[in-house]
Formats: sequence, C-alpha cells, structure tokens
Amino acid sequence: MKRIGFFLTRRIAGGVLTLVAVVTFTWLMYWSISPQPGRFVYPAGIKITNFQLADGAHRLGADRPKLTQYGDWWWHLLHGSFGQRWTGATLNDNVLTTAPVGPLLYPSVRETLSILLGGAILAVLISVPLGAIAGRRVGSLADRVISIGALVGVCTHPIVTGKLLTQWFGIDLGWLPIGGYCSFVKHPPPAGLPANFPTCGGPVDWATHLIMPWFTFAFLFLALYTRMIRASVAESIHEDYVRTARAKGARERRVMARHVLPNASLRVLTMVGMDIGTALGVAVFVEFAYGIPGLARLSIDAMTGDPLASATDLPMLLAVVTMITLIVVIGNLVVDTLYAVVDPRTGTADRPGRTKEIAAGVM
Amino acid sequence: MTAVELDRPRAAPRAAWRLTLGRFLSDRAAVASLAAFALVLFASFAGGPIVSAIVGHNGFQQFPYATDASLDPVGGWSRVPTTQQVRLDEYGNVLPPPKGSTKTLMVLGGDGPLGRDEFIRVLDGGKASIEVGVFAVLISALIAVPLGCLAGFYGGKVDAIVSRLTEWVMAFPLIFFLVFATVHLTSTLRPIGWGHDIPAGVPMVALLIGVFTSFYPLRLVRAQLLTLRNSEFVDSSRMVGASGLRIIRKDLLPHLIPTLLVWGAVAVATDMLLEVGLSVIGVGVQSSTATWGTLLAQTTGTIYNAGFGGGDHHTTWHTVWPTLAILISVVSLNQLSESLRRAIEPWRR
Repeated sequence: MKRIGFFLTRRIAGGVLTLVAVVTFTWLMYWSISPQPGRFVYPAGIKITNFQLADGAHRLGADRPKLTQYGDWWWHLLHGSFGQRWTGATLNDNVLTTAPVGPLLYPSVRETLSILLGGAILAVLISVPLGAIAGRRVGSLADRVISIGALVGVCTHPIVTGKLLTQWFGIDLGWLPIGGYCSFVKHPPPAGLPANFPTCGGPVDWATHLIMPWFTFAFLFLALYTRMIRASVAESIHEDYVRTARAKGARERRVMARHVLPNASLRVLTMVGMDIGTALGVAVFVEFAYGIPGLARLSIDAMTGDPLASATDLPMLLAVVTMITLIVVIGNLVVDTLYAVVDPRTGTADRPGRTKEIAAGVM
Repeated sequence: MTAVELDRPRAAPRAAWRLTLGRFLSDRAAVASLAAFALVLFASFAGGPIVSAIVGHNGFQQFPYATDASLDPVGGWSRVPTTQQVRLDEYGNVLPPPKGSTKTLMVLGGDGPLGRDEFIRVLDGGKASIEVGVFAVLISALIAVPLGCLAGFYGGKVDAIVSRLTEWVMAFPLIFFLVFATVHLTSTLRPIGWGHDIPAGVPMVALLIGVFTSFYPLRLVRAQLLTLRNSEFVDSSRMVGASGLRIIRKDLLPHLIPTLLVWGAVAVATDMLLEVGLSVIGVGVQSSTATWGTLLAQTTGTIYNAGFGGGDHHTTWHTVWPTLAILISVVSLNQLSESLRRAIEPWRR
C-alpha cells in the first residue's frame, strides 16, 4: 500500500512538472514567432498601422513585461480562470469587450472526451474478438481477411473514413445525422423561445450523433489493436498451459477467455496509455469530419487564429494546451494505476513499446 | 553418405544480400506490393503527361463548360466544349455553347466552378504527394542518423538529452506541432519550389514533416547502436586503433541500412498521410497546387474554406479518386515494408 502511495505521489508530481514544462514551452514558442496580438483588436483584413498594433497589444495587456504576463497567467489559473479570449475582441466607444475562454473551452472538453472514451471502448470491444479469431489459426482464411482489413484500416485517413461514412449513412441512407454534437443532458431551450421548442439533447441524441465519430475514431485503432492482439494470441496459443487447459477438458471459449486473452490485456492497457496523445491527434480529424467544435479542433483554431488576422490566440491556446496536457497526464495516471493492479510485478516499472510509430501518419 | 557426394565441388557461398533478395522475390505479397507502388510511381510521374497527350489538354486548363448552369461539374467520361469563352444571355445565364465548337474528352468532371480535369489532377497530385513523402524521409534520415549514432554510440549526456526530448515530444500529438510551425512559417517558406517538377510548398511541407518525424528513426538508430556498440567486431576495430567516428562509419552504418529501409518504406506512407492531414486542415501545400491532400480537401473543406462538402458542387468521384490513390500507395508501401522486414529477418516472423 505504501508503495502505491509513493508511486501515485511521484506520478502526480511528474504530471504537474509536465504541465509547467508544456505551458512554459508554449509561451516560449509564442514569443519566438513575433506575434501581433494587436490584430485581434482592430478589424482584420484592412491595412493596420503600427500605432494600432501597439495600441491593440496594450489593450489586451500583451505589451507588459513577459515575466509579468507569464506569472499573471499562472496566478489566474490558480484561481480557476483561463482569462479572456482574444478572438472576437471588439472595440466600441474606446471600450474593449472580450469573451472569457471558459464557455467555449469546457463544452469542447466534454465533446472530445465523449469521442475519445466511446471510440476507445468501441475499438477494444471489436478488436479483441477479431484479434482472437485471427490469432487462433494464423494463415487461415479468417486470419488473412482480418489482417488485410487491419492493413487497410491503418492506411485509411480518418478524414476519408469520415467522409465516406457521412456520404453513405448520413446522406445516401439518411440513417444518422451528418454532424454536430448534442449534449448528454437535455437543456431547456434558450430564453425567448417557447418551452416546447425542439432542442437537441439527451442520451439518445447524444449517441446517434456520436456513432459515426466513434466508428471513424475506432477504425484506425481497431486495426492497430487487432494486429497486436493477434500477435499475442498467436504467441500464447501454443504454450503448455493452454495445452493443459485443453487436456483438462476446458471448452474452447474458456481457454481463450481465461488462458490466452489475459496475456494480451497487459499489452492492450499499455497501448491505450501510450495512444492517448495519438488519439488527440486523430480526434482533430474526427472532429473536423463531423463539424464537432471539440478540444482538438479548438486548438487548431487557436493556433491558426483568425484566418484574416493570421495571429495566434494565446489565452485560448494556453487553455487548450493545459486541458490536453491534463487529459494526457490523467489518462496515463489511470492506465499506470490499472497496470499496477493488473500486473503487480511491474507496478512502477517503465512500460514497454508503443504503437505511435505506426500511427504517426495520422496523429 | 558416400565419398562421391563429399567430393562434389561445393557451390560458392552466396552473399547475404542475394539471399535476402531471393527471399523477397519469392514472397508473393512483396512482389505484388512492389509492383503496385511502381505502378503508382509511373502513374504519378509519367501518367499526367501521357494522358494529357492522348486527350489533348492538361490539368491546368480550365473549361467553363465543364460545369453546368448551377456550377455542378459534369460526370466522368463526358465530352465538353473546349471553348474558353462563356456566352451569357441578358439575364446573366449561361447559354449553351455554339454549335460546331471543338469537343474534347474529359475523363472526369471539373472541380466545382473551375472546370479542370480532375483525373489528370489526381495523376499530377501524386507527383507532389510522393515528393513530399520521399523528401521528408530523406530529411528525417539526415537528422536522425547522425544524432542517433552519437546518442547510441557515445551515450552519456548527449544520449540523455536526446532521449528525454524524444519522449517528451512524442507524448503529444505531432499534428499540433506541425500546424503551429506551418502557420507561422508559411509566408516565408511556402513560395519555395522549382517549376512544375517540385511545386511551390512541397519543400516546406517536406521539411517540416521531416523535422518533426525524425524522432522515430532517431529512436530506432539509437536502439540499434546501443545493442551493437558492445559487439565483438566493434571491440576488434577499437583494438586496432580505429576512432569512434571511423567505427560508426565503417562498422556500424552498414548494419543500419536494413532497419532504415524497412522504416523508410513505411515512413514515406505515413508522411504522405501527414500531408493529407495538413492539407485538410488548410495549412499544407497551397490549395491551388494539386496534391492528393488538397484534392481531398476540395470536398472535405478546410478551416479557411468550407469546400464543396456541404453543397452539391462535387461528385462522389472527387472523393473517390484521391482516396483510392492514397489507399493504394499507402497500403503497398506498408506491405513493402513488412515484406522487406520478413526478407531481411526471416527468423523474426
């Protein structure tokens, strides 16, 4: 017990350090690109004078000493605030109005987590039986079909999968909505609309809107996980203890479920932990294909900024980076804890291998 | 066993690379994937000019009549007037082309309002996509091999820095780094190109992808050198007084070639997919240059431009041709890499 406590403390401390490093790195990157925050204040597209640039930066507080800005950001974060967004800043009667980051950020975190968790569960649920079937008889027809399917899955860009699924199930067949997101909890219609105004929400709407994103997300990881489970099953199916189990009269299903597949569970867990970062990269394209304004999409928007202004929305970028880091760190913490539970021998050891090399193309 | 058999002259031992080549050629999947990728290469680099010569127009020419009055492109294999002038009636509606105007074969309808031959553009786009993939792999190899050798062979501080940096960068989605870098380097780097052979924007995308993906081969090279540096042939070289750099160059680099080949084949494929991703986000090669990514982005849209995805101004073929092209080349490269690995290391199935 003491060991696990030590392990958790170390991990959490490591996570906080990672967050500090990532945020500092983001600030350094931002300063290294000669930013023009003033462009957010004055209408973009037209030619903007140096005075306006300086004035805009001053109004946003971006002309203060760098260390002050940096410290100020942490101070606000410790008080639970991500500050004000730069995008959409408007100057009226010499008064600058900006919107807070939160209302845009928190729903997007829910959306991205819905996609990630649902997609990950779907990927594991489908890949375990497929990998078991393929690995049981290497070289059989089923194995070849599954292996070729996995190869195609690895090689298909999520944006393509999304495009094709939308075309077939959304437009041609009309079974599913082609995009957008519905919250899990049904909210009353916004003020000013009648109470029976149709709004989108509730578990059913939530799930129907997410089925295609889940499958799009799962398709890539499905392929990777199926390959890995296949290899693990093919390795352990000829072990002595499997033969013993068969000799004792255990049914094939029990042999697979109790003696063969548990070997793969550690590797699956390892891969899930390693793939959290990759998954966020894939989520960019899933969110893009279905027009879901999630976290990954938000980060791209914050980086590219206003297309006309071509400037980076720093407060939004920092908020998104913080959230992504938290997801990666907490996800890894959960996986590490599960790892220690599943296999007590390697509780605090480094985990082996990762699949990122394979999925690098789309992450 | 008789004496006669023993006296028979023994065949000269065959070189290792010949054995590998033999294993590679006797693998059906290997030959098939090699043939498929050769076909893709031929279609991308020679296909455009050949098809242009046959049908009499190229992928840059625009045919206003390739779209109908509501800007919907015509379907595949349609005959379209080649005239460049569109006649309008007094209300601004497009009139049918004059009778007797010369006709040409459009293999696929034009894209949206521009009216270019989409099929030739897919062939031309392959050139840019493959160039991005190959250049990016060369760049990341150029970065990874020296750094990986230093880190793996000498260890110590260099190794610690390189390893930590690699782990840290790899924990985060690569696409974010790429987008951030591309957005802010676009104005300076994107115009660089070399005529039609290397379209503008290709060097930039290749450079950025190459730099940010060099962490994978770096890990590979480092891991391999870590296992090799204590082997006997390195010790013997050291004993006769070879310097570290000479050992790396003469003794260790040849051992890296198989690893790099296997990695390179699959990396070309992943780099092509990254190009697609960047184009779809809208920060890759200029959207007017045909690559498989930008062609796909025409229908999916980018963050700067909604594309035709929502409207009707595209046919399913606009998605299918680039998708098929990407799929064939990426699948064949992946299989090629897998087959190479099997041929080089047959004991590791």
